[in-house]
Amino acid sequence: MARLSLLPRDRTFFDLFIEAGQNALHAARLLDEMIAAWPDAGGLGRDILKAEQEGDRITHEIVKRLNSTFVTPIDREDIYGLATQMDDIVDYTEEAADFMGLYKIDAPMEQAGALTKVLVAACEQLAEGLGSLRDFKDLDRYWIEIHRLENEGDRISRDAVASLFSNGIDPMVVIRWKDIFAVLENAIDATETAAQIIEGIVIKNS
Amino acid sequence: VTGQQTIRLAVIDDDSGFVTVLAKRVEAAGWQHRHLASAVPLEDLVAMKLNALLVDPAVLGEEGWDYLERICGMLPDLGVVVCTGGSTVTERVRGLRLGVDDWLGKPCHPEEALARIEAVTRRRRRARPQAEVGPLVAGELEIRSDRFQAFVSGASVDLTRREFELLALLAETGGKVLEREAIYQRVWGYAMAHGDRSVDVFVRKLRQKLAKRSPGWTYIHTHFGIGYRFDPAPAEGFRPRAAASQVLHTVDTAR
Repeated sequence: MARLSLLPRDRTFFDLFIEAGQNALHAARLLDEMIAAWPDAGGLGRDILKAEQEGDRITHEIVKRLNSTFVTPIDREDIYGLATQMDDIVDYTEEAADFMGLYKIDAPMEQAGALTKVLVAACEQLAEGLGSLRDFKDLDRYWIEIHRLENEGDRISRDAVASLFSNGIDPMVVIRWKDIFAVLENAIDATETAAQIIEGIVIKNS
Repeated sequence: VTGQQTIRLAVIDDDSGFVTVLAKRVEAAGWQHRHLASAVPLEDLVAMKLNALLVDPAVLGEEGWDYLERICGMLPDLGVVVCTGGSTVTERVRGLRLGVDDWLGKPCHPEEALARIEAVTRRRRRARPQAEVGPLVAGELEIRSDRFQAFVSGASVDLTRREFELLALLAETGGKVLEREAIYQRVWGYAMAHGDRSVDVFVRKLRQKLAKRSPGWTYIHTHFGIGYRFDPAPAEGFRPRAAASQVLHTVDTAR
């Protein structure tokens, strides 16, 4: 049975979340491309920075609208939480791209490429899920898949860090890559937190 | 320390107080150093590209004499200074006769240890035959260790230091396949982390630079899943100039 509402609800939030999902996916794909072609694709860092700025704009727009809307289509804390997580995904993605240049990385590590592929796959799921958010149904498969991807990211990241501590590896390589692996893992973790918030929204609204 | 050139030193010693004080002075002198708490495989010492080794045989255990003998025999360019406590005349004579360059008794002042290492290294450098820096010629390429650069018809290939070291290593072992891990260890001086693509990236850069200056030749061949082999060959349909040689050879006289 359709839910009745006595007050108008601003549906623009859903459009802004779709934008945020597409933006996170765009940034993740750029990072994946950049790491695969490193050091020849350093210019993509500028595009990732633009995506990060676009993410800030979307988050700001959501928060501004949240403060000026009397009745929201979903709980305020969920809107705020989801907006923050979507912003975090792009922030961590940009941070990883930035570290590649800041740390003067000579060449990529295979595990970094594997992590960015997991990040892209998780962002694809998230972007699709956000596209269907306004209906509050058939979203289980997205967060189940994101949870699986997050576990895969954890495994890759743990193995990658462990491999850095083999005997005789340059300590500078260890310091640089340990940081980058951690940031990539944070980005993947943020996709899972976003998926958990979506799961909560669906439970409350179905 | 008065040496003009940087010294790459490894210290095998478990005396943390001595090693700490020594490290401060070594850093102040602008040397590069590695502290090793125990004996490491000979190939690891080779990869570190050391000028000198300061070693306390007490750390090496029962195999200490054999280890020292192998180092001195197989790394003739490495200056070896022993710094140990409570040695007998027989031990000191034995050590010096099997190839150790100098022997210091503990306790010793770290400045004296540095001065002795410097003296040993200086003597090594003076004794190095000049012919060693003679160029290698391969295809159209002239690889000159004395200038850390490669040239084609007198024009520089504009290699960075690391690209040059990679090229020189591959060329020295011309015709033999070198594994990625071995290349990394020799050029970077460390063990290669699993998944590190540095060797592939630097080989790619090197190929691009070589192709720019010497487009009619291929120099580096990929052995998938293993590594790389240096073997200059004219590109398909390219007729090499008479002066160009496929055979790698060393020119005896330094320029």
